[in-house]
Amino acid sequence: MIPVRALRDCLDGVIPGVVSTCAADGTPNVAYMSQGQYLDEGHVALSYQFFNRTHQNLLANPRVTLGLIHPQTAQQYRLHLVYERTETRGPVFESMKAKLAGIASHTGMSGVFRLLGSDIYRIEGAEVVPGSTLPAPSPAVDPLLALRTCMERLPTSPDAESLLDALLDGLQAHFAIEQALVMMLDPRRDRLYTVASRGYATSGVGSEIPVGDGVIGVAARERTPIRISHVTSEYAYGLAMREGAERQGMGDRLETEIPFPGLAAPGSQLAVPIPGAHEPLGVLFVESPTEMRFTHADEDALVALATQVGGLFRLFLAELELGDEAQPGAARETRPEGPPLRVRHYAANDSVFMGDDYLIKGVAGNILWTLLQDHLALGRTQFSNRELRADPRVRLPDQSDNLEARLVLLHRRLAERGACVQMEKTGRGRFRLRVDRPLELEDMDAGA
Amino acid sequence: MPTHPSLILGPELTRFVTGGVSINAGSASAAGVPSLCRAFGCRVDSAAGRLRLFFAGPQAVDLVRDAGRSGALAVVFSEPSTHRTIQVKGQDARIEPLADGDLACVTAYRAAFAQSLVFLGFTEAMVRTLLDCPDEALVAVAFTPSVLFNATPGAQAGTPLAPALIPSLIPTPPLTPGAV
Repeated sequence: MIPVRALRDCLDGVIPGVVSTCAADGTPNVAYMSQGQYLDEGHVALSYQFFNRTHQNLLANPRVTLGLIHPQTAQQYRLHLVYERTETRGPVFESMKAKLAGIASHTGMSGVFRLLGSDIYRIEGAEVVPGSTLPAPSPAVDPLLALRTCMERLPTSPDAESLLDALLDGLQAHFAIEQALVMMLDPRRDRLYTVASRGYATSGVGSEIPVGDGVIGVAARERTPIRISHVTSEYAYGLAMREGAERQGMGDRLETEIPFPGLAAPGSQLAVPIPGAHEPLGVLFVESPTEMRFTHADEDALVALATQVGGLFRLFLAELELGDEAQPGAARETRPEGPPLRVRHYAANDSVFMGDDYLIKGVAGNILWTLLQDHLALGRTQFSNRELRADPRVRLPDQSDNLEARLVLLHRRLAERGACVQMEKTGRGRFRLRVDRPLELEDMDAGA
Repeated sequence: MPTHPSLILGPELTRFVTGGVSINAGSASAAGVPSLCRAFGCRVDSAAGRLRLFFAGPQAVDLVRDAGRSGALAVVFSEPSTHRTIQVKGQDARIEPLADGDLACVTAYRAAFAQSLVFLGFTEAMVRTLLDCPDEALVAVAFTPSVLFNATPGAQAGTPLAPALIPSLIPTPPLTPGAV
């Protein structure tokens, strides 16, 4: 039997596989296969790009012999397969479509290679073809050791924000992954928003991507990791996104757009969903200027990490439900002095502007607006996550909403902008609002 | 599918199939189980109108058995740098003893194929390893081409080719890594 690791390396598209089929009259046919995907020990998927002789033969005789070459060792393998079905949507199809776009671009076949479907085959047998081989190169990073080291630190994080820091620091220190970010899902708006990043000129915290857009959006929608070894314009983020934002309505006017921090010319990308109870909580995304940077082992390790991060996030949410009642506000603190700063809130998209500077929108904008209202009206500075969850003014999409992630976003945006309002953690699920200037709150009409 | 009892490959096509292209051959068992093996070079016998392919015997056990039984053989020749691909089929495949010049042909093929892949970023060691086989283990399979297709990826794939028209019918995409 072929080791799974070797099989996955062979199917990646570095060296195209060769497919042998046979017509009803016994006439053989040989064709190239651009890309395959290992599904489980009994199944693989092969890209279906053209209705050709191979496909005609499959309808009459589902048996296929697939020839593979390991791209590093030159070891040849043969898989004996039986065609089962063709999928034209769903996680396998979308993942292969994204990869094929990369392979097509890399090999000058953009516009020619287009995925019509993912052909699913049952593995009937496998053989190691006798012949000479090269020793497999040892990877620069031992992914299992890196995973273990990285994982050990995650559960010691006291809150969502330090968890994300531990994750991204760990990727840098143990996997040598320099560019990484975490986006969280806003299910009501079908968008993902950046809560933490590493390795970019600007953090991009608060930047958004629609679910279904690019590798991150497709990974979230299909709940499947997407790994591209040759990034193409089709899946790259950049100008097109900003143009798309311009075309949208008031809710996403360009002035409230925070640029996505991604690399201008990525070579490799890997997006891994962070699983939640139902929908994914978000997506862990890493990229590199180098092509073929991320291996199957990297993908496996990041899936394990994302699963642990998802579990810890849900634990934080559960602890919040069981936590102490909100502490009554402490004694009123001294009011700051100086000229007041005008803070505007636009109800249409809950965007908040500090003076003329856009700060944040959406649920996080609403949270800030609620905090500032209570601060001005009641002189409050102490707040708890739990009371915010219950506060109808915050208008969380539902009770299972990832409030922690929204607070991380708000905290980071305030800190990055050097705003005169800051959030300071005072305990698990509690924080203090520090206000350095007098504020004038102005609620703008919807559409204003 | 037009069938021609014997197609004579013109000079351009002869150069193509005997150059540094990737060669894979397939056949099938009586039960319809396809067999497959990579070839280590091709010779064209213009006088007899036959192609001779070379294989590492231990790798080609199924293919030799199936082709020897039915005579049916399909061979794909693909130029890695351009994706230009043709498929040749025959119905009279036969295992033959190695003849004079066959070993030199395999040696020349290894060098030509290595050259075309090193150009694409593969190491020569990788290609030489892939094509490694003791001389005494090589086997030859010869057949008369009866069908010829353009198999270059794209909508035109599968178009039958008349040998005289081959050069103008096969598009040449830009130089990029492709089939090995």
